[in-house]
Amino acid sequence: MKDKLTFYIERESSLHRVNPLTKLVMVFAFIILAFFGPGFWLPSLLVVLGIIPLSFLGRVQREYFRTAGRLLLPVVGFLFLMQSVFHPDVGDSRVLLQVWVLNVTVEGVRFAYLTASRIFVMVSAFILFLLTTHPSELMSDLTRRGLSGTFAYVITATLQIIPQMQAKASTIIDAQRSRGLDTDGSFRKRVGALLPLTGPLVFGSLVEVEERAIAIEARAFTSKLEKTSLREIPDTKLDKAARWFFLLLIVLAFGSKLWPS
Amino acid sequence: MKLTESIKKDFNTMTWVLIPVAIAINVVIGQIVAILKLPVYLDSIGTVLVAAVAGPWAGALTGTLSNIIWGLAIDPNAFPWFPVALFIGFVAGWCAIGGLFKTWWKVVIAGFLIALTAAIVSTPIAVYLYGGITASGSSFITAYLLETGKGVVQAVFSTNFLVEPVDKIATALLAYAIIKGLSKRYLARFPRAENVS
Repeated sequence: MKDKLTFYIERESSLHRVNPLTKLVMVFAFIILAFFGPGFWLPSLLVVLGIIPLSFLGRVQREYFRTAGRLLLPVVGFLFLMQSVFHPDVGDSRVLLQVWVLNVTVEGVRFAYLTASRIFVMVSAFILFLLTTHPSELMSDLTRRGLSGTFAYVITATLQIIPQMQAKASTIIDAQRSRGLDTDGSFRKRVGALLPLTGPLVFGSLVEVEERAIAIEARAFTSKLEKTSLREIPDTKLDKAARWFFLLLIVLAFGSKLWPS
Repeated sequence: MKLTESIKKDFNTMTWVLIPVAIAINVVIGQIVAILKLPVYLDSIGTVLVAAVAGPWAGALTGTLSNIIWGLAIDPNAFPWFPVALFIGFVAGWCAIGGLFKTWWKVVIAGFLIALTAAIVSTPIAVYLYGGITASGSSFITAYLLETGKGVVQAVFSTNFLVEPVDKIATALLAYAIIKGLSKRYLARFPRAENVS
């Protein structure tokens, strides 16, 4: 099966060195500005003047464009096309062109562009964050700030288990195919292939649960005492200032929504 | 205090260790289904499994984390849909407490209730975040309903209501099949083993 399990690109850059929480607050500031901030072009400006320059700062621009192209363009393109064609007429809308029985209106295209650009900000801000932040770094930083260690365990353990299970799944698929299981025949055959493929995978993984429970119990998993961390994650004054700045932006974005216009 | 006490009881070490495996089951079965090109998602079997053996709170947590992991590792488009996964786990857990995970035809009812919840919860997300038409193939049904003059909320909900039941009933039945395949001794280590025996 495809893909490694993190987007993270190990590289030396000032964006990589920023504290994970600061970057997370920044992502949310981008999203909230895009959805609640004023102005039709704001989401587009956020991408052009915010997210893309930051991807250069983080020296991940090539990976950023590639990931955004792979994950976002199909989604956003489809969304834009469908919504401009199918936006409900509200009577006095100006018709741009006619496709078969459907009217493409100026209002429809504007609405579609706004939605698509907002979704673009939301997902690509996360892509930028994930390209420059290792998940386990984010987890250790959040644990240090009081997130329960068990949560951090669940997230990091899952990120390790998924690739193992994917490897197991492709072994099972190969094994069952070599025994003649039809995985790309008729619909009924493909439905029939589901159980022989998932059964061994699921039961095999569930058996390991019990062993793992005993193993981590023996390593003070449920202990209430404070645990120490091997890795130190930098958190400078500049980080703190940046977080306040982004929080202020979030408040302003909500404020602009409440302001009587 | 009684509520937090009872929630805590649902999270023993077995639950905590099952959750990552359940999330991996969600992801990997989701991908196998995509390889087989079946017209369903089946990406919440693990969530329903946890909900049945460890209660609604553990189910809700599994669903939420499942979407967060999906977003972190595979596709950030998954983040905004986490409330749907949360409620799938939560409702599945209450179905199990109500005894709906004991025989297969009751599991069908549970699957239907889960589908109804998913349809309700995903409607506002689709409407307010995506303007009604999302990136999934079922959006063509929504678009058709919009053209016939239905309101956006109604069009999205009707689409979800058409699409969800098949997927969620199959999900619930597969989770039930997994539970039936596990030994009594193994199940007994989970906090709500009595829900499924």
